[in-house]
Amino acid sequence: MPILYWKGCMARFRTKKIANSIEELFSRMELDYIKLSNEGCCGSILYRTGQDAMEVSKQTMEKIRSVDVREVVTGCPGCFRTMSKDYESFEVKIYNISQFLLKFKDLLRENLREINVKVTYHDPCHLGRHMGIYEEPRQLIKLIPGIELVEFKHNRERALCCGYGGGLRSAYPEVSMEIAKSLLNEVPNDVEILITACPFCNYALNNSRIKVLDLSELLLMAWRD
Amino acid sequence: MDIYSMKREEFLKWLKDENRRRGLSRAVSSYVSSKEKILARMPHINVIRKEARKIKENSMERIFELLKEAMDNIIDSHGNAYFAKNAEEAREIVLKLIGSNKMVIKSKSLVSEEIELNEFLEKYDNKVFETDLGEFIIQLRGEKPTHIINPSVHVPREEVAKTFSKIIGREVKSDIEELVKVAREYLRDKFFTADVGITGANVVAANTGTIFIIENEGNARFVSNAPPIHICITGMEKIVPTLEDAFKIVQVLPPYATAIPMSAYVSMITSPSRTADIEKTLVYGVHGPRELHVIFLDNGRTRMLSDSILKEALYCIRCGSCMYECPVYRIIGGAFGHNYFGGIGIIWSAFTAGEDKVAAAIDACTKCGRCKELCPLEIDVPKMVEYLKKKLVSMGYIAERHKEIRRNIIERGNPFGE
Repeated sequence: MPILYWKGCMARFRTKKIANSIEELFSRMELDYIKLSNEGCCGSILYRTGQDAMEVSKQTMEKIRSVDVREVVTGCPGCFRTMSKDYESFEVKIYNISQFLLKFKDLLRENLREINVKVTYHDPCHLGRHMGIYEEPRQLIKLIPGIELVEFKHNRERALCCGYGGGLRSAYPEVSMEIAKSLLNEVPNDVEILITACPFCNYALNNSRIKVLDLSELLLMAWRD
Repeated sequence: MDIYSMKREEFLKWLKDENRRRGLSRAVSSYVSSKEKILARMPHINVIRKEARKIKENSMERIFELLKEAMDNIIDSHGNAYFAKNAEEAREIVLKLIGSNKMVIKSKSLVSEEIELNEFLEKYDNKVFETDLGEFIIQLRGEKPTHIINPSVHVPREEVAKTFSKIIGREVKSDIEELVKVAREYLRDKFFTADVGITGANVVAANTGTIFIIENEGNARFVSNAPPIHICITGMEKIVPTLEDAFKIVQVLPPYATAIPMSAYVSMITSPSRTADIEKTLVYGVHGPRELHVIFLDNGRTRMLSDSILKEALYCIRCGSCMYECPVYRIIGGAFGHNYFGGIGIIWSAFTAGEDKVAAAIDACTKCGRCKELCPLEIDVPKMVEYLKKKLVSMGYIAERHKEIRRNIIERGNPFGE
């Protein structure tokens, strides 16, 4: 049975490169996956801004139920958090992409080439503090031979926030962007790539000083040709 | 201009104010590194803070019983105890005790800010002096506190020097020790000539009616001890069952509030100053105050308690750690809230000042959850903020932009409307 790859709105409209690299990764790994032709909204933004999300989340649950899958994999921690925690009695198993990819550790290890680069990893709030997923993305990064993972001074439970979430970016964009800037100031010295695992963080942290890549982009970069 | 545009202006003012940003960022980085060092040296605090959480949970379950016990015990010890339903009642009680044309000294009390006591007392021609250095600075500058532990957190030393130079009429260097000396010299005689001292309380033990005042400067000792009348105004949620319970809270506060293992001073006050040294005959008012008045304030706290989700905010021991640690507060400081600050402050302000006062500020919270992780009592602030936000939306408080996002989602299946 195929898995359903759920892109999420940010990766569909603003950080398309993330959706593309996830799909590319899936096909290189020869995974059987499907997508929805008209994905719609998980409702996360409505939940986080205090608005009624019942109708939207019901529609989305129905849409997912209508295709024959038992597992949904998403690269968006916002969707992941919402479908796992906010949806009531949703029987489909939801995975964050980092959890899912880790099931294929051996396959990945065989196909990842050595790259000698110093990276750091930013814990997305919805993935880390909201869902307790801290180690899986780090384990994936460390599958790449030669890579050096340098931690932010404040990481995991204590990681800073990119400032995008909770409706702040839409309500007060200037404040949101200033928070992103203050996070970028905390990037450890000599790091060449800032790895994120959230399309929202990726968008918020995009800047001219340091390369920002999604976890899937990093894995693809290290994939043997 | 709607409340959202007004709040945005306020945020932008903070963003652009280099002095405020400098003051705030110096304070935050100094606090965070000291706190982390101290907490690493005190692993046992993890046990005590969990006990503190239990104590607060249990206390709030029977707070009215504890309130009665505390008040009875204060009265038994020749003090006076009052219950004020709201800010107005609390102000009236204080006014009856003080009257007009008096000199009043205060140590830091957020509850007195909550009921806007200074402005009220000044209307009756009383002279009010704040003696906590941070409060003193903002009182002189005509500002409002922007942090519950460090009210002048946004004022860097250069600005303090300008303010002090003005009041003493000579140039003061922006040297921090020099600035402290100016405050000390300016306030010294006020402690001994004041008619009334007003303090808050950090915790109150019901079984003896003892109020605890935790401080580092030594000003609260003077305020609660030198004038003939001591008035303590505190929130009713500060009451815990026993002295032992109170000591647990006392142990949690200093490392989280000021990054030290224990505060310089903890004053425990149970009755007015007394002696029976001559013929075993009891007389009140020896070297300390002859009168002690303790006012317990409700002002929305009972309402908070009746809400199964938001009552968790009452467990807050007011260490202020979550504010220093909040990514949003670090940028917009005191603008992120109303009379209380940060995510927890949004909840407190909603009940003590009104929902309308936080309806715009609440949208600044990203619900990132960092405050919950770093709170010694593990208070789930993001959950409460999300819940309150929902309530506010149902009351009609919603930003245009958020409405538009919902329309886009309904009509186009995505927030961007594309």
